Amino acid sequence: MSLYATAVKKPITTALCFVAIVVIGLFSLTRLSIDLYPQIETNTIMVLTAYPGASAADIETNVTKIMENTLNTVSDLKHITSQSKENMSIVTLEFEYGTDIDVATNDVRDKLDQVKNTLPDNAENPVLFKFGTDDIPIVILSVTADESMNALYKILDDKVSNPLKRISGVGAVSISGIPQREIKVYCNPQKLEAYGLSIETISNIIAMENLNTPGGNIDMGSNTYSLRVQGEFTETEQLYDIVVGAKDGKVIYLRDVARIEDGPQERAQEAYVTGTSGSGDFYVGKSGGAIFIQKQSGANSVKISQAVLDKIPEIQKTLPSDVKIGIITNTSTSIENTIQSLVETIYVTFIIVMFVVLIFLGRWRATFIIILTIPISLIASFAYLLVSGNTLNIISLSSLSIAIGMVVDDAIVVLENVTNHIDRGSDPKQAAIHGTNEVAISVIASTLTMLAVFLPLTMVPGMAGILFRQLGWIVSIIMIISTIGALTLTPMLCSQFLRQDPKKGKVWQLIFVPIEKGLDSLDVFYERCLKWVVSHRTITIIAAFLIFAGSIQLARVIPTEFFPTNDNGRIGMKVELPVGTRSEIARDLAKRIESEFAEKYPEIKASSFTVGAADADNVWASIQENGSHIISWNMNLTSVGERERGLTEIVDLMNKDLAKYPEIKKYQVLAGGSHGGVGGQAAVDVEIYGYDLQKTDEFAQDITKKLLALDGIVSVTNSRGDYIPEYQVDFDREKLALNGLNIATASQYLRNRINGSVTSYYREDGDEYDIKVRYAPENRETIEDIENILIYNNQGKGVRIRDLGTVVERMTPPTIERKNRERMITLSAILGQKAVLGEMAGQIQQVLKDADIPNGITTSIGGTFEDQQDTFRDLITLGIMIILLVFIVLAAQFESMTDPFIIMFSLPFAFTGVFIGLAITNTPLGVMAMIGVIMLAGIVVKNGIVLIDYTILNRERGLSVRKAVINAGRSRLRPVLMTTLTTVLGMIPMAVGRGEGSEMWRSMGMTVAWGLAFSTLITLIIVPTVYCVFAKNGIKRRRKKLAKQLAVASN
Amino acid sequence: MKAVFITFDQAHYESILHILDRNGMRGFTYWENVQGRGSKTGEPHYGSHAWPSTNSSIMTIVEDDKAPKLLQLLRNLDKSKEALGLRAFVMNVEDTI
Repeated sequence: MSLYATAVKKPITTALCFVAIVVIGLFSLTRLSIDLYPQIETNTIMVLTAYPGASAADIETNVTKIMENTLNTVSDLKHITSQSKENMSIVTLEFEYGTDIDVATNDVRDKLDQVKNTLPDNAENPVLFKFGTDDIPIVILSVTADESMNALYKILDDKVSNPLKRISGVGAVSISGIPQREIKVYCNPQKLEAYGLSIETISNIIAMENLNTPGGNIDMGSNTYSLRVQGEFTETEQLYDIVVGAKDGKVIYLRDVARIEDGPQERAQEAYVTGTSGSGDFYVGKSGGAIFIQKQSGANSVKISQAVLDKIPEIQKTLPSDVKIGIITNTSTSIENTIQSLVETIYVTFIIVMFVVLIFLGRWRATFIIILTIPISLIASFAYLLVSGNTLNIISLSSLSIAIGMVVDDAIVVLENVTNHIDRGSDPKQAAIHGTNEVAISVIASTLTMLAVFLPLTMVPGMAGILFRQLGWIVSIIMIISTIGALTLTPMLCSQFLRQDPKKGKVWQLIFVPIEKGLDSLDVFYERCLKWVVSHRTITIIAAFLIFAGSIQLARVIPTEFFPTNDNGRIGMKVELPVGTRSEIARDLAKRIESEFAEKYPEIKASSFTVGAADADNVWASIQENGSHIISWNMNLTSVGERERGLTEIVDLMNKDLAKYPEIKKYQVLAGGSHGGVGGQAAVDVEIYGYDLQKTDEFAQDITKKLLALDGIVSVTNSRGDYIPEYQVDFDREKLALNGLNIATASQYLRNRINGSVTSYYREDGDEYDIKVRYAPENRETIEDIENILIYNNQGKGVRIRDLGTVVERMTPPTIERKNRERMITLSAILGQKAVLGEMAGQIQQVLKDADIPNGITTSIGGTFEDQQDTFRDLITLGIMIILLVFIVLAAQFESMTDPFIIMFSLPFAFTGVFIGLAITNTPLGVMAMIGVIMLAGIVVKNGIVLIDYTILNRERGLSVRKAVINAGRSRLRPVLMTTLTTVLGMIPMAVGRGEGSEMWRSMGMTVAWGLAFSTLITLIIVPTVYCVFAKNGIKRRRKKLAKQLAVASN
Repeated sequence: MKAVFITFDQAHYESILHILDRNGMRGFTYWENVQGRGSKTGEPHYGSHAWPSTNSSIMTIVEDDKAPKLLQLLRNLDKSKEALGLRAFVMNVEDTI
């Protein structure tokens, strides 16, 4: 017995099977976590190693090279790139796509263990860092303080960071912009010299004095006591009383040569916060800091953010009264709002589809049967999401929204045929079985065409693949479930609910009789149209071709983008002053900008900015670009509904405002808070490899000039950045040797005096703070101060640096970039509006070819060009594969090579529709629109299938070509319009959505709605026409053949 | 004894069986899938792509007096759903074992 017969005969089993599916789906729904995007697995690992006080070149030789040489042996490695900048080495390992990143991480960790001992002593332990979507902070808190500022780091660490870390699912909590405490011993060089002391002696003496030593055990009487010397300082004041030497029989105390300051570190990142305090006062630029909270991989962002926010009032109570915690960014609200608006879209779509079905069928019961397949198929897909470890996110929910209009198609076809049978007098039970039997094959075939489109989507590699994969699977699963439902549940429900000659009430008469009349006249109109075009085939085909060709021209005016900017109310801003600007100056400017913006943009709810170079301990901050001349902002605006100005509008205005400050060298205002992807302008990257910094720089400048001379290149940026001035001490080796010194000793002396020497730690309440001994700030401000530094040799003789060498100012690169263990400069040539990427790349290649490349320098081309080439290749391959698969499915169904070809004539017009739609609504063509275009390939051919299938049927029934075409067109117009309208109208809520996050899917909805609507209109005309042409040619050929045979026979 | 050969659209099967049972005609032979078309108006029943519906046939041997009644009932059934199609033919049975 067939599947549908069983289903009809066992209604209870069938119904309960679907109830089970729904129950499993709903259960999965309660377990699913909510997120904005699908989890994007990273294929890169970063290794950060801090080496405080070292310059880019030092870092390169002492840290980066060693790391690269060791890490290069990790398997599956694709590229190894590195950045060596002041204080920090960042080695980035890029693995082949599909490598198990956990295994790779372990490999890297093993290698790091080997390399640790070969790193310089002062270098800190390397930190491993994986940066995927899971690592974006989910909550950013602001902290402000007045009198507690000095101890703020410890307070936050103990009372905020620790309790937050205990919340399950919270990954890292990093405190930024708050300097750590340090005990600074500022020595006066004149006094040191007078007493014959040096920084080294003082530092050693402090270490010797600051000790706790166990002295063993002693037996006294009947007891054993342990003996200890408790020499560690219990108060910082005690340091003053340390005896550091003696002169002329008098004791010299530390207080005689130095002053002690207990407070924040000297060079640290500072943060300032703007926002509303608990009492409702708005404050601007108050000193404080920021706390970044990241979640553990795979955890539920919304739940964790909520847990964090719930915990804050509790934490606030334990803090000193001047320390206030505020919220700068809370991703969960934006996620919740986005998901909410998507869920609303799904409801609206559902209702629209329901009305379309009702209007066309005019029967409540039939509508109910069809609509029922929607929730069942959608809910079933939740089980897939749970099993595959996915989340409810923009992609998965918009997939559902897309699927709504399509899942009803199968059920409509089945129901329509069953109704026909009932109308002819069959008993509903019999009608259900036979009616389903008749259309089962074509239902399965049309589902197969959809699968031919959506399953290949799951195989796309790269970033786009992550988005496509979920969409592909969800739609495929929903389609399969809906087909199974259409073949079992729908006939079962038909047999139970449908009646012969249903009673039609007065209301029905009132509403549906006019609709019925309208549809009838539409049928007549279409029939007339068909009659005309079938008789004027050449004109029709030429007209269609002209429309297509015309629309291709439109493609030029459609702007392109990668990802649409999401109005999540976040703005990230970076302002760069000339390199080397002191952080005090940067801070003053930042405060001015902050107060100007606070006044001009009341939309800003909270913001914080940081200035200064990040401490090496702060991984989060050091990964971002930072330095004394860089100011970075995080701003949070009120949510979309509450403000009149859009995110991009505000960003544009801010850009204009910043342009008015003459002291700013570079600025960048990013909508959405961070780079969502490679948006904006296209660029061709020229990579220049070579060891010699000077040679490569000269060559890079030469190429830059040549590139700028090309038409179409707007600007060229050099990745090496501006050289920063730096003072270098050139020691004279001869003089050093004469004085019994060497470079190592001399440079160590220099470092201890300027950077400071840490040999001991001050312990308080279980925490350790550095005791740093160095010259007082006022004694290290000029070149003379450096030249006057005394270096003692083994004989105790002091020699000044000015007698040993010279202090010179030189320019050095701020970062040294390396790729695959070679030094590299990337020149990014930004293209103008009209330049074509491929063409420009060719011209640039020519420039490189003609250039006189010095010895030891190699070049290659990469950048957006490379990315785009890769993506385009992938998408074109995918497109060809999809079209081929669809063709195979169709050819198999019709057992013909020409029929699928005719059906595919509707495909180009889908593009026409897309281009027209995008051009009219001025929507940019991005990845989401591309997804829509690819989906269209499957949806569009469905109409063709229905038309051609029925035309062939009519031919088989013995009608002439012309009659078959017209008859088929007339009788299939309603099913075609109905399935098209459910899909097109189902997309409209997406296309015109105005809720938070709707920018993401608007272009996709727009693409499918326009593409499908347009192609359906054309399909209804062009496919019958083309069929006529092919069929008539076939008949002519056969007649000729027959005539020939007859001629041969008669001869 | 009369042989009644009924050929009909599959949808009629249950109704016909019901008629036979109600009138105490126990024995019959049933072919589930048969194909054919009517001489005047009957649509082809080929089970093909163009003509997807199929017929079934029942041959039942009844007492002479029961045949007209059965035929009348079948005629009523056919009239109620003319689009489906049902025909019955009565033949003489020469002999039986």
